[in-house]
Amino acid sequence: MAIREELRDYVLDNYLFTDDQSKLKDDDSFLETGILDSNGVMEVIFFLEDEYGVAVAQEEMVPENLDSISRIVSFVEAKNG
Amino acid sequence: MDRPSKIKNANLAWAFVTNAHAYLNSDAVVFGSRRITYAELLGNVSQIRNYLAGHEIKKGARVALYLANSPEYIALFYGVLAAGGTVVPLNTGAKSRDIKNWVGHSEANWFFFDARNREARAAIQEVGGNVRCVAIGGSSSEGAGWFDCIDTISAEARPSVDVIEADSRDLAMIIYTSGTTGRPKGVSLSHGNLKSNFTAIIDGLGLSASNRILSVLPFYYSYGNSVLNTHLLTGGCLVLENSMMYPQLIVDKFDQEHITGFYGVPSTYAILLRRTNLKEANFSSFCFMAQAGGPMPPAHISELKQLIGETDFYVMYGQTEASARLTILDARCLSEKLGSIGKAVDGVSIEIRNKEGQPAASGETGELCASGKNIMPGYWRDEALTSSVMVDDWLHTGDLAHTDDEGFLYIDGRASDMIKSGANRISPKEIEEVIAELPDVAEVAAVGVPDELMGEVIRAFVVLAPNAELGQRMIQAYCLKNLASYKVPKQISFIEELPKTQSGKVKRYLLKEY
Repeated sequence: MAIREELRDYVLDNYLFTDDQSKLKDDDSFLETGILDSNGVMEVIFFLEDEYGVAVAQEEMVPENLDSISRIVSFVEAKNG
Repeated sequence: MDRPSKIKNANLAWAFVTNAHAYLNSDAVVFGSRRITYAELLGNVSQIRNYLAGHEIKKGARVALYLANSPEYIALFYGVLAAGGTVVPLNTGAKSRDIKNWVGHSEANWFFFDARNREARAAIQEVGGNVRCVAIGGSSSEGAGWFDCIDTISAEARPSVDVIEADSRDLAMIIYTSGTTGRPKGVSLSHGNLKSNFTAIIDGLGLSASNRILSVLPFYYSYGNSVLNTHLLTGGCLVLENSMMYPQLIVDKFDQEHITGFYGVPSTYAILLRRTNLKEANFSSFCFMAQAGGPMPPAHISELKQLIGETDFYVMYGQTEASARLTILDARCLSEKLGSIGKAVDGVSIEIRNKEGQPAASGETGELCASGKNIMPGYWRDEALTSSVMVDDWLHTGDLAHTDDEGFLYIDGRASDMIKSGANRISPKEIEEVIAELPDVAEVAAVGVPDELMGEVIRAFVVLAPNAELGQRMIQAYCLKNLASYKVPKQISFIEELPKTQSGKVKRYLLKEY
């Protein structure tokens, strides 16, 4: 399964407690929608590290990299070259 | 012009206005790229005050605010008080059923909300026709008759604002600390309560116009409310940052905004210590940091103190029922009295009382009781609940504590079942009420279990009805629909039966150890 789908499923399953794909758009801001809190962001980072071997540095923990499904996918793809 | 005399008027807004007049050209609030001076803030407060006066707001009318920390919230807060209203700040994470409960229970006449907030739009359909709803940031055509709109709060700078005269006993705020369906708990606070406590905090922390505070605590809680007021009553500047989601951005702001002070709860500091490069941060402009909202592990205090060097670190303790603050540990005593919450702030008397209700001896654990001008007159329209914590003008906090030989106070535990997760204090009953609505649930009990970062996270124990099939996710999804997200249990455990006393009361302490 592609990163995008896996990530969507992870967020839907763990933070929205549903498999209804319509509940989460790829560009929904986690910050503005309140889907994730500070702990949720860290859990997503652990998920990225475990599943894709991506090491996320402190300075990379910014909304530009992590605030939506699309942004995370771009970030992970850039990291993995 | 109906300008009351300075001496007589006990309105908190009057204290703000008279102080602001001395700092008209100084920054009051920074929010993203917006920088707002005290003169501009007075203009904004005046805009709201005039709007409410224009709609003939009645003195004492309850005005619910459902907005995140922002210059708009601040303008509304003082604007409502200046117009003679009582502010009812609502938790912005709350779902529409809680909003409906609180608006109904407080008999609010007004409901101000952020026009972009979807939950608020769901709520206004339920709050009832007697409540005038006003969207902040909405276009004027949008309400179509069923709610009003103020598109921007951005009036011309002014040197002053007309403020309705208030008595010190008049209510300034009602702060809801739980949202249980049957019995929402609204702490009533008068202008006199708040002013006396803010004065004590200002003295205790030595606050002044030179303070530049990075503010991350929500204003709808008494802690955030005290940060807002104490600094705007002393000519300081608040730099607003609404989320701890990206904690490194907070640390970056320390330097960018030349921050001199910072307030947090234990989880705020745990996150900064563990998830940012705090070690490399520049604290040269800092004067102080402060902590309240539950016990912070002494190891974290020591680690933080090593990083911040000469910066003062204050440990504070309080309750919403006490306006905010009951004690402060003087920063100079921190290393000697690590683990203590300090001593009573000015104007507050504290007694540790044993089971017989008598003053406890030094070293003996008892209930921490407090009296003073900052103590609430009671819970809004709930005399039974009020009399359960207020006895002969003494507030019984439910916290167990002792003093040492020098009179420093130490918290030993809590007598209540409230769960403390991050900055939030959560009644297990609220969670249990919602889960019990599911037909497949026979019984439920929620407890807080220890968590390194958040202090506690919520674990719900569920007894299913015979032959029921209900998964963890369905329970969490139902909670998310009906509760603020921070109240959704992180863990769900299914058990055969709940441990109970002979009288049928759930033994929560046993559940905590499962």
